[in-house]
Amino acid sequence: MHQYSSQSDDELLLRLRNGDDQAFTALYRRRQAAIYRFALHMGGSTAAAEDIVQEVFLALLREQCGFDPERGTLSGYLFGIARKLVLRNLERGRSSVSLESETDEAGPRELAVVDDPLAGLTRHETIEALRRAVQALPRRYREVVVLCDLEELDYADAAVALGCPIGTVRSRMHRARALLLEKLHQDRKPKLAVDAWKPMRYAI
Amino acid sequence: MNCQEFWDHLPGPGHEITPSQSAHLTECATCAAQWTPHRALAAGLHSIAEEWRQTEAPPRVEAGLMASFRAQAGYQVQRSFARSWWTPVVAWASAAAATIALAVVLVRGYQPAPAGPGRVAAPHRTVLPVAEMASAEDDDTSALGEGFVRLPNAPRIESNEDYNVVRVEVPGSAMIAAGISLGEDRAAETVLADVALAADGTPRAVRLVPEGGTY
Repeated sequence: MHQYSSQSDDELLLRLRNGDDQAFTALYRRRQAAIYRFALHMGGSTAAAEDIVQEVFLALLREQCGFDPERGTLSGYLFGIARKLVLRNLERGRSSVSLESETDEAGPRELAVVDDPLAGLTRHETIEALRRAVQALPRRYREVVVLCDLEELDYADAAVALGCPIGTVRSRMHRARALLLEKLHQDRKPKLAVDAWKPMRYAI
Repeated sequence: MNCQEFWDHLPGPGHEITPSQSAHLTECATCAAQWTPHRALAAGLHSIAEEWRQTEAPPRVEAGLMASFRAQAGYQVQRSFARSWWTPVVAWASAAAATIALAVVLVRGYQPAPAGPGRVAAPHRTVLPVAEMASAEDDDTSALGEGFVRLPNAPRIESNEDYNVVRVEVPGSAMIAAGISLGEDRAAETVLADVALAADGTPRAVRLVPEGGTY
């Protein structure tokens, strides 16, 4: 198995197409966790997330899986399949997260919140508050936040997964963050004062 | 750089803003004020990502997928015992199927579609009823339910073992090779089958799913 760890996704895909089960295992172990988490963040149900992981990788086994290396990475492609399955589940109501109305699709607007809505929260409180806020986002903003912020895909891979231009990913990210800040600001407790957070690399 | 350009071209998570964006923040008090909660939000989201870093699909998902992978390969298990008593069965079944196909071509001018690799359906987890497991008799597959046939050279099925059953599509020839009674004319078709997987993910037994799709 060790010999597979240095191989690219595309190389592993080629090997598994030739019946190499270790290549399949290596590719699965490399990519399954992110797909599973994406499905969990988007759908909220562990059973549905398991099924989505299964179906995503089963799709790879089919000869006509449709992956084209010219159009993007395998990772972006796998997220794209997972996203379609998540949407299908949401439409069928097999999810603890609702498929919200998509009326909030106005263009990017200025961030209305100018103070830090997370200041004073403990780490646990921050994570819980943020998770709730992410779950409450309209689907198209939630998916871009999950892909780019939580799974740390670059915008190009996210664009492949979402089937949209990179510019759309950027604008949705901007809008999603504005919505998150508004939501957090609304939920903020007045007693909080301690500055619990240190901004990480994404900083000046 | 104006305010619109600043917000439109923010780098992805984990990346620094550019010097020109940094310069814009020193010049624009409005953007600088909005940037503070933005940084805090990014840090908070990064914390969620860290918190979830170890979350992954349970092992049973991998086991089910591996079984499907092997099923798709037509049970071509690369083991030393691969050439055993049932190998001639495969050969005879293939030969019979080819003969029948040839006869059809000669008589009717019909062109059968070539048999591709088995298309695989999503496996589903099935918890076997305790009562069924406890009623295992001499036939060790009885613990699994009706219609199961132990795969050639697979270990004996113990009644106290946990099994998952996955439903897959496999070539009919693979079912014949496994000892399932299937019309020889169906050797080139793909058929629905339930595969019983041991806890380590290895297939132990198989049964043909009837036309109705249920047992």
